[in-house]
Amino acid sequence: MKIKIFIATLLFTFASSVVHAKGDDFKSVVKMIEQFYGVKHQGIPFLAKAGMKVATTAARIKGGEARRIAEAGSIKLAVFENQDFDGDLTKFRTSLNGALNTTWIPLIQTLSATTQDQNYIFLREAGDKFNVLVITITERDATVVQVNLSRKNLALLLKDPEGTGKSITEEATIIDQE
Amino acid sequence: MKILLRTPLIALLLIFAPAIVTKAQDSRIQLSSLDHLAAKASRTIEVNIDERLMRITTRFLSDDDADEKKVKELVNGVKGIYVKSFEFEHDAEFSAADVETIRAQLRGPGWTRLVGVASKKDGNLEVYLLLNGEKVGGLAVLHTDDRELTVVNIVGPVSLDKLAELDGQLGIPDLGIEPQKPKAKKEEQ
Repeated sequence: MKIKIFIATLLFTFASSVVHAKGDDFKSVVKMIEQFYGVKHQGIPFLAKAGMKVATTAARIKGGEARRIAEAGSIKLAVFENQDFDGDLTKFRTSLNGALNTTWIPLIQTLSATTQDQNYIFLREAGDKFNVLVITITERDATVVQVNLSRKNLALLLKDPEGTGKSITEEATIIDQE
Repeated sequence: MKILLRTPLIALLLIFAPAIVTKAQDSRIQLSSLDHLAAKASRTIEVNIDERLMRITTRFLSDDDADEKKVKELVNGVKGIYVKSFEFEHDAEFSAADVETIRAQLRGPGWTRLVGVASKKDGNLEVYLLLNGEKVGGLAVLHTDDRELTVVNIVGPVSLDKLAELDGQLGIPDLGIEPQKPKAKKEEQ
């Protein structure tokens, strides 16, 4: 009996740690950016509950043509504004890929050595949905967005990864400008 | 006794396992030799649509929805799409040696260069097919001009029509490929 309880406890601990590790990647990436570039993010906690509002606002600003990409309530967002992102972008990319590549699929990455712009889109399966992590870094600003995608929007993302990645970031940050 | 029998077997496996793995990955070309160019390129694009993602896509996308169906058809049969593309502000920022690291792989067994593939884009376009007997095992596109170097590697059975369809989609840069009944020509060794 004791053995059964011990095994059950072990399994539960293992399962919890897996879920915890999976859910923590967003925070890890934010921390990684902070440590690598010596910057601080501004969190926007209410966004997590504002999925519908974000969608409506995005649609209105884009003249009603915008499609809602993120699932309601799924947005995690960290914004870095008006700070210096001065560092070796290829080194940062290597660290980021090293940290995420075991659980996330690196769909598309674009870099510019001249403007220092970096864009990363990672994807992973999450039950019947997909988590998408979009990291955008420019010379003075950065955003980290994680959202859930439906199957239909996965198709959109695959067809046009760069465009859809930009839309996801815009969708998540537009409410910040209200 | 069992241990005595097992040891040579393990040794044999250790010797042949890498060869088996290499054989299975033949159509995936190594692009990491180009990574250093990202430090000077004005734009670097890297796309990794691997087998995991292909499996997810086929499993989850539905045939009932037009958008999902279209993407499913695009990737149908494809086992991976890998792209590295570099754009530079000045001429000659990449060397012939950089391009040679890719060409050398495409001179390997099974790879055949296709001639007569036209592109709307300026520069030099080379398209290679990996043939396993009569079956196509993969495809590689090398596009170079003075300020651009792009390599597209598609793993799995893929036709030129499919390549033209994929052009500009799924993160693949627009190479302006216009298939015109190309002929296969074995590259000179």
